[in-house]
Amino acid sequence: MEPTIGLLLALSFLVSLLALTFLIWAVSSRQMAFNQAQARTIFVAGEEGHADNPGISPNADDDTHHFDPARAGIDAISARPVTILLTTAVLWLVVGSIFGLTASLKLHWPDWLGDEAWLTFGRVRTIHLNIVIYGWSSLGLLGVVFWVAPRMFHTRLRHPHLAEVGALIWNLALLAAVFALATGWTDGEEWLEIPWQIDMLLAVASACFVLPLLRTAAARNVHHIYVTGWYWMAAICWFPVLFVIANLPGLFVGAQQATVNWWFAHNVLGLWLTPLGVGAGYYFIPKIIGKPIYSYSLSLLGFWALALFYSQVGIHHLIGGPVPTWVVTLSIVHSVMMFVPVITVAINQHVTVAQNMWAFKQSIALRFVSLGAICYTLASFQGSIEALRSINTVVHFTQYTVGHAHLGAYTFLSFTLFGAVYHMMPRITGCSWPWPRLIPVHFWLVVIGFTVYFVALSIGGIYQGLAMLDATRPFADSVILLKPYLESRSVGGALMTLGHFVFAAHFAAILLQRRPAAVSSAPMTQPVVAA
Amino acid sequence: MTDLRPSDDEFEPYEEDRGIPLPVSWIAIALALWGIVMLYHNNRSVMIGRSERSEAAKPQSRDVGAGGAGIFLARCATCHQPNGSGVAGAVPPLASSPFLKAKPEVVVQILLHGIDGPIRVGDDVFDGHMPSFASVLSDDDLAQVANHVRKGWGASQTISAAFVAGQRARFPDRGAWNGGSEIAATLDPTLPPQPAPRPDAGTGIDPAVAGLVQHGSGDAWACASCHGSQGQGRANVPRLAGLPAAYISAQLAAFASGSRRDDTMTVVARALSQNQRETVGNYYAGLRTPSTARPSLDGDLERGEILALQGDWKHGVPACFSCHGPSGFGVAPGFPALAAQHPAYTADQLAAWRGKVHRASPNDVMNMVANSLSDSDRRAVADFLATLPPVPAAHRQEPVHGRSVAR
Repeated sequence: MEPTIGLLLALSFLVSLLALTFLIWAVSSRQMAFNQAQARTIFVAGEEGHADNPGISPNADDDTHHFDPARAGIDAISARPVTILLTTAVLWLVVGSIFGLTASLKLHWPDWLGDEAWLTFGRVRTIHLNIVIYGWSSLGLLGVVFWVAPRMFHTRLRHPHLAEVGALIWNLALLAAVFALATGWTDGEEWLEIPWQIDMLLAVASACFVLPLLRTAAARNVHHIYVTGWYWMAAICWFPVLFVIANLPGLFVGAQQATVNWWFAHNVLGLWLTPLGVGAGYYFIPKIIGKPIYSYSLSLLGFWALALFYSQVGIHHLIGGPVPTWVVTLSIVHSVMMFVPVITVAINQHVTVAQNMWAFKQSIALRFVSLGAICYTLASFQGSIEALRSINTVVHFTQYTVGHAHLGAYTFLSFTLFGAVYHMMPRITGCSWPWPRLIPVHFWLVVIGFTVYFVALSIGGIYQGLAMLDATRPFADSVILLKPYLESRSVGGALMTLGHFVFAAHFAAILLQRRPAAVSSAPMTQPVVAA
Repeated sequence: MTDLRPSDDEFEPYEEDRGIPLPVSWIAIALALWGIVMLYHNNRSVMIGRSERSEAAKPQSRDVGAGGAGIFLARCATCHQPNGSGVAGAVPPLASSPFLKAKPEVVVQILLHGIDGPIRVGDDVFDGHMPSFASVLSDDDLAQVANHVRKGWGASQTISAAFVAGQRARFPDRGAWNGGSEIAATLDPTLPPQPAPRPDAGTGIDPAVAGLVQHGSGDAWACASCHGSQGQGRANVPRLAGLPAAYISAQLAAFASGSRRDDTMTVVARALSQNQRETVGNYYAGLRTPSTARPSLDGDLERGEILALQGDWKHGVPACFSCHGPSGFGVAPGFPALAAQHPAYTADQLAAWRGKVHRASPNDVMNMVANSLSDSDRRAVADFLATLPPVPAAHRQEPVHGRSVAR
């Protein structure tokens, strides 16, 4: 009986790889004829070839900031749901950062704010995690999706009110979840802390976003669906399924529960936030530069390899745990196989930027998005390596993992979102950013803050892991040696939080400011002002 | 690559269909091959691990299966000597002992409960201290070792495991036999005359100490909340029952002064007065509790036995028993009992000695010993010590009443 498990695993892995190769070959060979047209679907005629610099010099280029009338009608319809999504996302970012900074400070000031139960570390950290994932990242990226998708598909957004209802329910559910977590009502699993009763509400909200995107895609006026569309449509269908399965109450117990827990925890990143973020990168990088993406065959390979490999990645969190060895090994192999889709995305996105460095210097929105894409590459490489048993032995259960999580969830997703918001908001509101000089301030605050944060935690985490592995040292040593690194993390976190305040204030200003007369002639901004 | 900056109005960058770059394909293929090998290899390493474990388990069962001689050498010969001659004035001889020629239940009951009292063998009277093997040997093992000693030096009647089981059920709760006279009176009146038993020293426990141990006071949490209601300990919380009183109070003083590091014990020890430390020490020194320790660290028991009994002079490791007493029962006041200690605790402490967390050893002896022990040696010796019977058990004292403390 024993030899068959390894053989079966290796064979089924080989078969699935062959199937993947065949799929990509079939799709790419059939579509070869369209390659030229595909690459151009995101540009309106005449728009390509220009650096698209968001609002910093609003009157520099007529083509970039004045839309085709057909497209203007499109933007007016999506502006309202997108404004709701982005505004609430930015609010959650501010609240989530405050909770994150509080949790960080508590690690080296353990008695600070320790008298109220809802301000204890266990709750503050949990609230931070859930707010930044479900509030900031998810809502913000959904805002990007509903702004870009209609433009990409050359048609108006279908069911915009359904998306608004979804945003409303999602925000109410998240608010309820934060109160539940603050009072100590939790399901008790990392990433699945929100009580399942409230999760059902979130699941309903996430389902509300499926129809608008799919109906818009179905009604598209372009033949080919650009790579961003694949990622987004896949993610928006995957999430409700993942979320509901992982939150079904009472179905999984014991080691199974832990397995489903980590299956979900990695998939909410890999099959929900990552495709949303990668899709955004695939759109904004060529959009801002004005040049197409490097290779469509690579896009195909990247997308399908992500779909195949990512779903099994989460179990590497249970290395050494009481689950069958082959499940863990399968997960490690899939984690390392993630090199394939990551390399393809890296080549596609970075080569395009590297060949157009002038745009990187000129456009701060591109700088955010492109830095986010670079950090996606780095975080993914790091994650694949961390999944190896030899590395995992040292860094698992240390602050190193926290640094890695923020490299992915913060620099990749948040930087992409920052860039997207800087690009989108002038087009949504019809106004340019009121204080353009605040944008580089925001950029450098979060970049320097995160660099301090990441370097401190990565170094401290390795020392912590080595101390914990050494049986001849007492456990307290591994805690004491971390102190300077935790303090540095708080410094970095404070800089990042400050950057978010700058960003949020600027966001509020562009949203609330009276439109300058020069721009008000554009008719498409009317509904936004009403909102 | 040729023309990436086309003119504005004629944007036709990709005439050629750019396929997947060759290096990417090679990387993907290499990773796929690695993945296949990993998945297949996983299965092999599981199988190898399993066969190693079953092989490691075999010699043990074969050793036990080899019968009473093996058990005798491992468990009894340290004191009674391989030829059963005993040690004059200290350990009674087995050869031609009337206790072996008596009814079969006599030897079985002594093995099950131990002896703590005067006993006459031949013309000599010994101050008997024999441990109980009830918690460390199975009925089958006890029957084999009993048959071995009886056939060698006494009667020829064979004892079965079922008989041992019956004897085990006979006095389920009793402590050690109080010398030869109690054995003779209870089990076999035909034994030669025995010295009078020692007067029962087990006076009642001071209620103040019992309260301290079971319920704690102030910062001094109840000892029992971690060390168990009978001082049996668990995992890396040490067994305290039967440790020398002076050793316990010295450790409490070391925790209080910070010369021995443990965050929990420092708080507790600082809350205790010198007098309280001594009474707690006395309380645990007199506590007789069956062993709850079992090998749990995958240590090599044979290697552990060699280290405990003979040491490893190639690496500068003396035998544990040379200081900690025969069978690891400890030597008061400075050397704690090692027998029946929980392996996780023993291994942790050896690691702590090596890490120089402890500095209380005379002449740094333990630091030097621990420095010479590898990780697998620490686990081996800790696991072996856990298989030993606890320090000789006296009459069970009045059970300390009190609610069982939640752990």
